[in-house]
Amino acid sequence: MTGASQTMQSSGPARDGKIADRLARKRRFQDHVVQGLCLFATAIGLAFLVLILATLLYLGMKGLSLGVFTTVTKPPGSNGGLLNAILGSLIQTGLGTAIGTPIGLLVGTYLAEYSAGSKLGDAVRFVSDVLLSAPSILIGLFVYTLLVTPFGGFSGWAGSVALAVIVIPIVVRTTEDMLRLIPVAMREAAVALGAPKWKSIVFICYRAARDGIATGVLLAIARIAGETAPLLFTSLGNLNWSVDLGKPMASLPVTIYQYAGSPFDDWVQLAWVAALLITFGVLALNVLARIVLRPRS
Amino acid sequence: MIFQALATGAGILVLVLLGAIIVSLLIGGLPAFRQFGVGFLTSADWDPVKQVFGSVVPIYGTIVTSILALVMAVPIAFGIAFWLTELAPNWLQRPVGIAVELLAAVPSIIYGMWGFFVIVPVMADYVQPFVIDLLGDAPWIGFLFQGPPFGTGIFTAALILGVMIIPFIAATMRDVFQTVPPVFKESAYGLGCTTWEVMRAIVIPYTRISVMGGIMLGLGRALGETMAVTFVIGNTNRISGSIFGPGNTIASLIALEFPESEVGSLKLASLMALGFLLFVISFIVLAISRMLLRTGART
Amino acid sequence: MSTTTKSGDTRPGIGAMAVRASPPLRDARISIRNLDFYYGANKALKGINLDFPAGQVTGMIGPSGCGKSTLLRVLNRMYDLYPGQRATGEVMMDGENIIAPGMDLNQLRSRIGMVFQKPTPFPMSIYDNIAFGVKLHETLNRAQMDERVEWSLTRAALWGEVKDRLTTSAMGLSGGQQQRLCIARTIAVRPEVILLDEPTSALDPISTLKIEELIDELKHDFTIAIVTHNMQQAARCADQVAFFYLGEMVEVAQAAQMFTAPKEKRTQEYITGRFG
Repeated sequence: MTGASQTMQSSGPARDGKIADRLARKRRFQDHVVQGLCLFATAIGLAFLVLILATLLYLGMKGLSLGVFTTVTKPPGSNGGLLNAILGSLIQTGLGTAIGTPIGLLVGTYLAEYSAGSKLGDAVRFVSDVLLSAPSILIGLFVYTLLVTPFGGFSGWAGSVALAVIVIPIVVRTTEDMLRLIPVAMREAAVALGAPKWKSIVFICYRAARDGIATGVLLAIARIAGETAPLLFTSLGNLNWSVDLGKPMASLPVTIYQYAGSPFDDWVQLAWVAALLITFGVLALNVLARIVLRPRS
Repeated sequence: MIFQALATGAGILVLVLLGAIIVSLLIGGLPAFRQFGVGFLTSADWDPVKQVFGSVVPIYGTIVTSILALVMAVPIAFGIAFWLTELAPNWLQRPVGIAVELLAAVPSIIYGMWGFFVIVPVMADYVQPFVIDLLGDAPWIGFLFQGPPFGTGIFTAALILGVMIIPFIAATMRDVFQTVPPVFKESAYGLGCTTWEVMRAIVIPYTRISVMGGIMLGLGRALGETMAVTFVIGNTNRISGSIFGPGNTIASLIALEFPESEVGSLKLASLMALGFLLFVISFIVLAISRMLLRTGART
Repeated sequence: MSTTTKSGDTRPGIGAMAVRASPPLRDARISIRNLDFYYGANKALKGINLDFPAGQVTGMIGPSGCGKSTLLRVLNRMYDLYPGQRATGEVMMDGENIIAPGMDLNQLRSRIGMVFQKPTPFPMSIYDNIAFGVKLHETLNRAQMDERVEWSLTRAALWGEVKDRLTTSAMGLSGGQQQRLCIARTIAVRPEVILLDEPTSALDPISTLKIEELIDELKHDFTIAIVTHNMQQAARCADQVAFFYLGEMVEVAQAAQMFTAPKEKRTQEYITGRFG
């Protein structure tokens, strides 16, 4: 019973200092080990980023020249460039963004402003969130059956539409989030002036949420600029000069796919250049988006 | 009114879009489902010459690579999230956080190419021979580590996938860790807890639902990843006992075989049917992820 | 703030407040000397000197933002969690300056327990909530731990209400019960000092009363510091009261004296409800 009476004595440094010290040492050690492991994990994550970027810089810079931007893709051994692929990427990414952004904006507006509590709104939000992470290759297959088979062939249009489908949920998410951040007082002030709801949304809320929505669009552009799988079945790629949206169209990611797997050294080299261009373009867009989003204080 | 109708219409369009994706894949795959019936789900054959197609191998490859990727990515992602929320000095939090997000922004084809030219040789020359020597003859688990060291294969694909999904899981974990009210953490510190004890006893239990949601999100990403896997998995329609053996996934099989399929062929239908299966699997995983994240955010 | 009051008619208007005769103050358990505290560049505490008498209750009052909670968070170094917050000066306990670098914070916090404004039950069973803190610092067998759990819950006047459901989640308790659980969890570690940061501000009157009785009971064994902006509570619980205003400690006195004959004008005005 001595243990009991000792326990019942409450205050003071009654507990065994030695045991507490021993436990403290063990716990501190454990804490240090875990902290060390976490630091290590972070280092690994960063190391992958650095390794990838270093490889791209090292191998990509070797092949980077003015000719890459002024010459179209050519057969192996004949000093080809990437002009048609760069242009194709710009066209399809631009069109995809142009088609997807207004739709995403409207959906995001519906979710934030009109859907309150409705089942339809919940369903739309859920589906949009699922589409956000859905395998992009399936979006390619879908657009293939929708636009390629019925219209008799691969086309830049089909590629742009596939990319637009990917843009929509990204813009939806940021638009809804940003519109929800707008204080109720601001809406009420607009309504109090006699503005109809749509006017207060278009002229007040969009303006207030402009930076955030712009961020969403930039992130969407960054995402689709590097997409490969959905383009394989839609715009296919084109080794010749073509800006005709009704025909197959080249793009940087598909060119990388075709060239990197080829047995020709100069093609592989061009693939590294393309990889360098696309990655740094995408990362620059991401950094830009984060600077735009950064709240001004 | 017009604006509201327009917005609502756009919302409905999203629903229609999802429906159309499912229906188009289902219709496209219907000939294969008709021809093979349940056999499509139970057969491991993929033989364009005999016109026999089954989905077992790619489904197996998809699931195994994704699970292996999770096993590798989750501890690292957790470490990053823990470090970013509780351990990092203030001035490092934002830059490191952005760097991790940039890792998520690197296009998947770049991962594939980098994996093929950088990781595969390292695997073939160093990692695989070493592990095969070390564990290949071990009892019970030896069969997992046998075979020639190609460099490519299930394990390499899982490794690349793992690196790709680290930032998604880490970012979600970081965001949910930050939702724990400081006063709960303080009361644990007030008892004399170390940082790790606070994490283990307070932060993880509080956020476990959302953390599971984040992990499922990573799984959803891994299941449908195409380009990164296609480069490094070896592309063989065979189930290998060894994790170093080659294989394929639904997405990689579609990407590789699609260009060689004729319109109206049974092979194309089978690829569509595979796409349908992949959609169903990812949809379920992503739906669970969404529900977990929503539930977690509410409590 | 009224300045027109003549000194003749400033009998504190708190006649309804029960002010009991304060016992003489004992020797200090913790002594604060020349304490300054900074949130970044912002000085939140200025030159604080204050003794916490052993085995007695020190109440800290003052309007919000006056620094009283900040002072509490200095005593167990809680501010260490946040970069940019720092303290200078001396906080002496057992001959050690506890705000000096090199202090073992985990050990310190096991000697100086803290209860927060909002009940903070951990996401585990009632039993584990208590055992969790104990296990950090002691190795007890099952029977000893059972005993400790019962002891601390009894001391926190909660045992009778929860003894039949120790294994159920602590999240299911009422707010008042959760707060008493937090007190039990704190005393189970057997600290020497207990810090209470507005422990009843989130509770109903009946729960508040229970906690106040508890504080009265606990001071026999622990040195207690309580932050409150409920003057009646300070009058009921505290032996010594310190009044803080804009980061300075304006006045410290035995409770009875503070509430009947405060020396400083600002104290008087605060106590009589002119501001705050």
